[in-house]
Amino acid sequence: RVSSDGKPEKFQPPPKPVIIDKQKQREERRFLSPEFIPPRGRTDPLKFYIERKDMIQRRKVFNIPEFYVGHVLAVTTADPYANEKASRFVGICIQRGGKGLGATFVLRNVIEDQGVEMCYELYNPRIQAIEVLKLEKRLDDNLMYLRDALPEYSTFDVNMKPMSRLDHEEVPVNKLQVRMKPKPWSKRWERPKYNIKGIKFDLPEKKMKEAQKWSQPWLEFDMLREYDTSKIEDKIWKEVSEGLKN
Amino acid sequence: MMPIWTKSGKKHAVTLLKVQDCHVLRYISKEESGGKTSKLLVGGKNASPFFKSESAMEIFKEAGVPRKQKVTTFNVTDDAIIKPGTPLYAAHFRPGQFVDVTAKTIGKGFQGVMKRWGFKGQPASHGQTKTHRRPGAISTNKAAKVYRGKKMPGKMGNIYRTSFGLKVWRINTKHDIIYVNGSVPGHTNCLVKVKDSKLPTYKDCNKNPPFPTYFADGDEKLPEDLYDEEIFQFTDPSVTYA
Repeated sequence: RVSSDGKPEKFQPPPKPVIIDKQKQREERRFLSPEFIPPRGRTDPLKFYIERKDMIQRRKVFNIPEFYVGHVLAVTTADPYANEKASRFVGICIQRGGKGLGATFVLRNVIEDQGVEMCYELYNPRIQAIEVLKLEKRLDDNLMYLRDALPEYSTFDVNMKPMSRLDHEEVPVNKLQVRMKPKPWSKRWERPKYNIKGIKFDLPEKKMKEAQKWSQPWLEFDMLREYDTSKIEDKIWKEVSEGLKN
Repeated sequence: MMPIWTKSGKKHAVTLLKVQDCHVLRYISKEESGGKTSKLLVGGKNASPFFKSESAMEIFKEAGVPRKQKVTTFNVTDDAIIKPGTPLYAAHFRPGQFVDVTAKTIGKGFQGVMKRWGFKGQPASHGQTKTHRRPGAISTNKAAKVYRGKKMPGKMGNIYRTSFGLKVWRINTKHDIIYVNGSVPGHTNCLVKVKDSKLPTYKDCNKNPPFPTYFADGDEKLPEDLYDEEIFQFTDPSVTYA
């Protein structure tokens, strides 16, 4: 190469190529639904194996999409008393509970100024469809505090269109800080027991300090409470992915 | 315990019972036992042979079977006698049958009268002196004694109790599991005795049971799962009301 002066320029090595291995990225991101992980206890692992077979069987016939707490879902259920024998409910998922076939999720919405929460079972055969309308994780695992938050945070349009899905990318985390109605609340959300990061507390410093009195800092060092699920998850992930492939 | 859905969309709770290494141990004839029917001794789960005396192990040696943790008697009619040493499987029961399940209830230890018998106790305040969970009066003045069987504090649980008339929803022949409606006495993984129901409403419900029992080396080849007619099987599409 010759520079503008005409003299030979110092050799500059070409920039190293950055290889973004999309295949590898896709494999790394794997989601195992939390109801597959068995709780700690003295139950025979055979019972969980049999339950998982049933769950995989249901998933083959009916698609249960990947969703977290904070997603906005639309669920159509078969209802013998509805007009078209099917009822549709749109809401934000505030909680996912239960293990195995009895796993449930609670959707919340505010319809005509009335807060409504519906608890659905994931494996109930009456559910016709589950659509994910908005993909976003929140800062907490449990959004029960939305009951005491201003209603604007729980209202979602019933005829919302599904958001465009960014395939094989990480689920975005919405770091929204929710503003609350004035106290009293249904639970004392400022206490460290609930460990909520998604509320904008407008309480005076004194109250926040008083709430810290109920903190239990020894809990994170308690070894008997540790439940390491990584190996169990790996085994179950292999089982589930093989079952779904067939 | 697990949920189960019917084709009409209703949910029922179901208990899973595993038939683990059951063998017939001995046949006792009517005259020998002195009862109205002949008896069959059946043994349950396999256990270690080292912790029992030689005399106790005789029954198992005769039948040619490893030592069993639990041995129970079943009253059997003469046409249903089985040779000692035959294994018993979950396919002995069929979906749609009704069944009684007996087991030892969870032991609660020494319990007071409120938990054991459901007494109401006394109020928490308004002047009660040291009396909040006590039985109160135990008899009348005229009786001048306490009747036998008076409900009082004592050891609660760890006794045999039966749940009657439980429907069998599903049978897994590969793992020998019976899915029985509702709850069953006993803790998880405890030993349980399953019999045909004695209730008069279910007297004629068994259409074609495997008689005297289901033999694994017989001609019948059963599928891995046997379902009741009303159960929603997960291979079907979702339930709709047309």
